[in-house]
Amino acid sequence: MSTIGKILLFGFTRSAIEIGGKLREKGYDFSIVDNDASFENKAHTLGFPLEIVDYSDDTVLENLGIGKNVQFVFTLFEEDVKNIFLTLSAKSLDEKLNIIALTHTKDAIHKLEIAGANTILDPYQISGKRIYKLITQPEVMNIIDATVFGLHDINMEQITITETSLLNGKMIYDINTLERYNLLLIGIHDKELKEKFIFIIEGHNHKLDAGDILVVIGQSENIQKYKKEFNL
Amino acid sequence: MNYFLTLLIRFAYFLDSSKKYHRVKNFIRMLLEQQNSKLKFYFDILMVTLVICSVLVLLYEVKHPDGHPYLEMFVQFSLIVFVIEYLLRLWIYSNNHEIFLKEYEHAIDNHIPFSMIKTSYRIIRKKIEYMLTPLAIIDLMAIIPSYRPLRFLRIFLLFRIFKLFRYARSMNTFTTIISEKKFELLTLATFAGFIIFAGSSAIYIFETHDNPKINNLYDAVYWAVVTMGTVGYGDIVPVTHEGMAVAMVLIVLGIATLAFLTSIIVSSFQSKILELKESRVLSDIANIDNFILICGYGRVGEVIAKMLHDDGYKIVIIDTDAQKIKLAAQRGITGIVGDASKSKLLGELGVEKKVSKIICVTNSDEMNIFITLTARSLSKNIEIIARVIKNSHKKKYFLAGANFAFSADETIGLMGSQYIDQPISYAALDEMLTENTGVLFESIQIHENSFYLHKDIASLELEERKILLFGIVRQENKVPLPLQSYPIEDKTFYFNPPLDFIIEAEDVLIIMGRKHHITNIRKQSDKRPPK
Repeated sequence: MSTIGKILLFGFTRSAIEIGGKLREKGYDFSIVDNDASFENKAHTLGFPLEIVDYSDDTVLENLGIGKNVQFVFTLFEEDVKNIFLTLSAKSLDEKLNIIALTHTKDAIHKLEIAGANTILDPYQISGKRIYKLITQPEVMNIIDATVFGLHDINMEQITITETSLLNGKMIYDINTLERYNLLLIGIHDKELKEKFIFIIEGHNHKLDAGDILVVIGQSENIQKYKKEFNL
Repeated sequence: MNYFLTLLIRFAYFLDSSKKYHRVKNFIRMLLEQQNSKLKFYFDILMVTLVICSVLVLLYEVKHPDGHPYLEMFVQFSLIVFVIEYLLRLWIYSNNHEIFLKEYEHAIDNHIPFSMIKTSYRIIRKKIEYMLTPLAIIDLMAIIPSYRPLRFLRIFLLFRIFKLFRYARSMNTFTTIISEKKFELLTLATFAGFIIFAGSSAIYIFETHDNPKINNLYDAVYWAVVTMGTVGYGDIVPVTHEGMAVAMVLIVLGIATLAFLTSIIVSSFQSKILELKESRVLSDIANIDNFILICGYGRVGEVIAKMLHDDGYKIVIIDTDAQKIKLAAQRGITGIVGDASKSKLLGELGVEKKVSKIICVTNSDEMNIFITLTARSLSKNIEIIARVIKNSHKKKYFLAGANFAFSADETIGLMGSQYIDQPISYAALDEMLTENTGVLFESIQIHENSFYLHKDIASLELEERKILLFGIVRQENKVPLPLQSYPIEDKTFYFNPPLDFIIEAEDVLIIMGRKHHITNIRKQSDKRPPK
């Protein structure tokens, strides 16, 4: 995991605690940044690295590593104004920075896009859609909750096709080897195409090249075995 | 006497246990008193027509005292109806046999002699209590003058107009406004009374000798009231300088008093109108069956309400903020201003019977949990879905009785960490959840007549139909298969089943695909297999 640089989480909020917890599980190097010293105790008890600085100052941001080893920035404040401002400041320091911004109003989504956020998380939209799905398609939501989100060992993972892989140069519809490991191919990412992700059911049969990415669902163990067998 | 008493007691017990008696009494209650009952609505219309017609007949008879035989018949008929109505209302106001039995049992339990006189007194007092209510007096006044010897009271027949109060709900509002503003109105009346008294005595003192029109105190009071009411007929005018001065002061004070009166009534009307609208909405909701109740119209509530509304689900929103309810109304969604944590309100909305699901999405955990508890205490079967704000409170939601509770933070945590090492699978997850690209995640229930029953998965031709099968949910009671499976609640989930998997009744297919492709396969599933 050393390929991924430092991760900064701005705002010691509930979302930051959740994301931080997940990042810690996976062993990433991250720290939470806030300007309110009163959070120090709480961060200490939870065991999160918290840096108390004035993040509105660009030099402070540079000192934190933006423009150097920081690769991901989360802006997780409760106030959209802070999130937008931080997104702008961080983006101006480093063009290539990956920024994931949290939003609380519909208005802010567009503003964050303009400011240069790569991904925008809207908790209200997420909650709303999930409740809606729960009402209209209870079975589906139960399954997703229990598998992909839940404790059961079914995960969604991406597999990148390498130069040396046995899959390099094959057509998607021809890779029936997935069945052996009980993996389900959801879709692909083709680096030649603009779209980030194409569902397999869209029906494009496509030649796999090095750099293309497959998204599969299955047991982690099986995914690892599969990767090994096909030299991925 | 003793024999008579035994008979009475027996009769009272007989009434108390008689189903028919209670049925009849309840029916009459529904007809006369129960708001929102269809029957009362028709009955009210009938009564209003009867009242208006009988008053019109009365007006006709002013110039044609001889009347008309048909009209006479109509008058008699309406009178009979009014009398019956009056007696029925008197009857349903209290239960005589209950008072009687209560007194009797009280006497037996405490070993005191049973007093027939005291009991009769109690029964009669209760009835008189009803007869003295304003509406009952109006009813009586509308009947009595028709009795020949009391013909001179004819003018009181106009009381029938007041009977309309009973049948129109908005008229009731007016009376409640007046009774609610009793204090203000009383103060104003005292003030006005004082001015009239002062003004009329002043004009009487100053002008009774100079002004031929003012001969007594009655004339003076009449003049003061006409002046103060800013009417000023001009039949009596002050002739002395002092009188004119009194008139000027009286006019100014009169305007002030009237303005004050108007503002009191208008302001209380405005607040009352809101309540009135509310009760309208409530009775509208009473006609909706099997709806989804959304508590809180914040951003989450908005998203859910919009999507459910677009899909044609019946929904009702509760929020404490009138502004938000207004917004919902503009979008064509029924909403009421109120506190969803109040058992009374949830009861009125019919949580026990008519609400299929409750969604708690207010912006505080305390509130959501409270609503969950309230709803659960009202109904055991209702499905409660809640949004958790602080993840550490999640357990409390389930303790309070929620069926589903989840926090957006949890999802955000998962998605955020997924984004870092697996940006593409994050995009897939995001699209699966938001369905922004039009690829949907849906379920298909296999029923007993399904086309796919007892067929294998290969025959579904999923690839050609552009459908991805995520897995199959099977009921617990079926024989387990040696496949990768996961227990989910009381069911078993087979992930990515092989092509020779045989589909059985009650299975649920979890599939992914575009809307029209899903619709196609659903249609195919609903076809009966050829025999």
